[in-house]
Amino acid sequence: MGRPLVAMLIAILALGGSQAFAQTSPPTYSADSLYNLGNSYARAGKPGLAVLSYERAALLTPGDADINANLAYVRAAAQVPVTAPSRFARVALAIRPSWAAWLGVLGLALIGAGLLATKIAQRYSRMARSGVVLGAALIALTVSNAMLLWPRLHEAVVLVDQTPARVSPAPMADTAFVLREADSVSITAEHEDFVFIRSRGGSSGWVASASLEEVVPRSPRL
Amino acid sequence: MRRFNLIVILLCFLVPVDHAMAQAALAYEAIQPARIKVGESAILRVTSFGRLKDITLPTVPGLTFEYLGRQQGLEYVNGTGVDASFIQIRVTPQFASVFTIPALAPGAQAIGLEVVKGDEPNPYRFPSQQPAPPKLITASLPKGEQLQAGGAVFVHLAIPTRDIYVGESVPVDIELGLRPGIVTTINGLPTLTGSDFTLNNLSKEPERREESIDGNDFVVLTWHSAIAAVKPGDFSLAAQTPISVKLTTLSGADKAVASRMAWGLLSSLYNGIAPKEVKFESAVSTMKVLPLPTDGQPADFSGAVGNFHVSSDISPVAAAPGDPLTLRLHVTGAGNFDRVDSAMLGKLDHWKTYPAKSKFTPNDTVGYQGEKVFEQPLIASQSGEQSIPGLQFSYFNPNTRRYEYAQTQPLNVTIGGSQASGGTPNAAVMAQALQGLRADHPASRHSMRDLRPLYFQALYLATTTGLALLLAGGLFIVRPSAVRASSKAGERLMAKVEAAARAGDAAGFFEAARQALLKTGQSGQDVERLFALADEVKYSHYRPVDKELQHWLGVVRGHLLGEGR
Repeated sequence: MGRPLVAMLIAILALGGSQAFAQTSPPTYSADSLYNLGNSYARAGKPGLAVLSYERAALLTPGDADINANLAYVRAAAQVPVTAPSRFARVALAIRPSWAAWLGVLGLALIGAGLLATKIAQRYSRMARSGVVLGAALIALTVSNAMLLWPRLHEAVVLVDQTPARVSPAPMADTAFVLREADSVSITAEHEDFVFIRSRGGSSGWVASASLEEVVPRSPRL
Repeated sequence: MRRFNLIVILLCFLVPVDHAMAQAALAYEAIQPARIKVGESAILRVTSFGRLKDITLPTVPGLTFEYLGRQQGLEYVNGTGVDASFIQIRVTPQFASVFTIPALAPGAQAIGLEVVKGDEPNPYRFPSQQPAPPKLITASLPKGEQLQAGGAVFVHLAIPTRDIYVGESVPVDIELGLRPGIVTTINGLPTLTGSDFTLNNLSKEPERREESIDGNDFVVLTWHSAIAAVKPGDFSLAAQTPISVKLTTLSGADKAVASRMAWGLLSSLYNGIAPKEVKFESAVSTMKVLPLPTDGQPADFSGAVGNFHVSSDISPVAAAPGDPLTLRLHVTGAGNFDRVDSAMLGKLDHWKTYPAKSKFTPNDTVGYQGEKVFEQPLIASQSGEQSIPGLQFSYFNPNTRRYEYAQTQPLNVTIGGSQASGGTPNAAVMAQALQGLRADHPASRHSMRDLRPLYFQALYLATTTGLALLLAGGLFIVRPSAVRASSKAGERLMAKVEAAARAGDAAGFFEAARQALLKTGQSGQDVERLFALADEVKYSHYRPVDKELQHWLGVVRGHLLGEGR
């Protein structure tokens, strides 16, 4: 009589604990799953959500050829202008940002160790100098990687076709220009339910927040 | 003889005239009247000087011709009777238009006939035929009122006979009867006596009518307005109007004298009648004002008293997320619309609501009846079929003497272009065009909790900053060794010595070597010997050979850099 009761109690506690964990655990992102999700959206005819998923996947693995190819393909199909990355961007984004981050730490350590070595022991001065140079190169790679990805942190993808960009953050304000679905914009300010965006063409206007989704979500909806 | 000549001359004039008429005006047509209404007929008369053959009735679409008969007679031309034939035809139109009837006899010309529907004014009517002035309506003095200013003025306040409630707006009429000629001017708008009521929206232009009251012609002006009581109780109120009337200014004695000495003459001589401004008041009316009941008063009651009906609509009924929609609440009826208020929608899930604006459109001059529209912008934050809940409006109905609710039906809207069900309208086309996508990736176990790259995360930044500070501190703390420090200084000094040796400057070499050895604190026999040689080179012009110079260079290098020691 007692054992079933205890077992039931343990089961209830385990279920409640798992549910609580599921509710509180933040979502996890994988480049491959985001890429596959983008493919699903693209096949379903939702270019906005597809581009958003590809952009997120590219944030994790910017050098992935499949992600970049499908991203350009969906944008072209949605009649959104595609800009080819520069050679510098291709080099700097060849490695994953996480690797670049650790390489930056390694570079910092090399510089520090090299400087200390040149100060302490003269015998290894050449090796120490080489270490300093290598560390500086690694840090430069990390900084370049970060500089190229920094704008993407403030980018958003238009999810609704023919989204009006208004001259002021009010629902009844005049329309300055219209954005296409799957278009990428950069967010520079926000006011209540509107965000001030700058399009790739350089035009600025206020867009309803509900029509956009940030590439790096502050409060993920998807 | 002279009379005969005169007759001959006249005949000479008349014969050409007659001949000309026979040649030029052989026949003509006339129609009477030339403008008729649908359903009436006109008479077309064909006149021919001479013998007129039978004519063929014309065919004009929309007109019916009926042959009436033929006559023979005299047609007077310039006072002279001429034999003529007449044919009369009845013309009946079938619809309103302007018709052209072709010539029926040789020499005649086509004529026109205008047919109207019947409600247009006749432009051919003689201008002096003005409508006769209407007969004045015989009326009696309003109940309870008396003629004032010697029978020239009356003021009447028409108010509801029932009890009213505090805040309730009720229509009232203020009538002002004036005898033309005696009343000269109206010096202001009517007002109410007392401060217990407010007079709202008094019409600036009164209605005007003429009546015959007690056999005298009166011009009656009527102002429409609405009053509202500000507190409960039994009140009396009256209307008053400032008017200038011609009143006699003579005293009683003057009047007695004037009556004996012919009044009309004296009045003209002494100007005994002059305009004077007087305020005339209506008879006092009583009104009972009841307080609004507190029992059952809704929490959202805004003070609206009257009889109202509500309806609502939203536009557009289909929109994209983020697009504004306008929700409207229409409140129609009669009552104090200035107290009609609605908070519209407050917080609503999946919707962003904005403050509402209202606009009142009266149906009468005093704003007692009309429509008040509340407009509230809404923005949907979620896609799909959405339902806007019904709106509620509470008011007090003085007829039923209780609070009532008016509620609208929920409204359905479609929010499209959504994340869940939307996509572009040409989603199928887009999906078809995207068949060239690269294949999916196999699922990987590697996942991250933050989309931001690692170097933008706080923990990473803190770690690297700590590491950098640690290294900087280490560099600051760790001092270079003495050997390393002296070797560096020795390198610099040695460079000078070597430069002098390469230049073959013996004096410069020994001087640089001495300075370097002194600065580095070197000592020994070879050092002292080098100092002595330096003095010799400097003061006795001793010039060592290159081999000797290389020897001393090695000695100096050994002391400064520790090489070969």
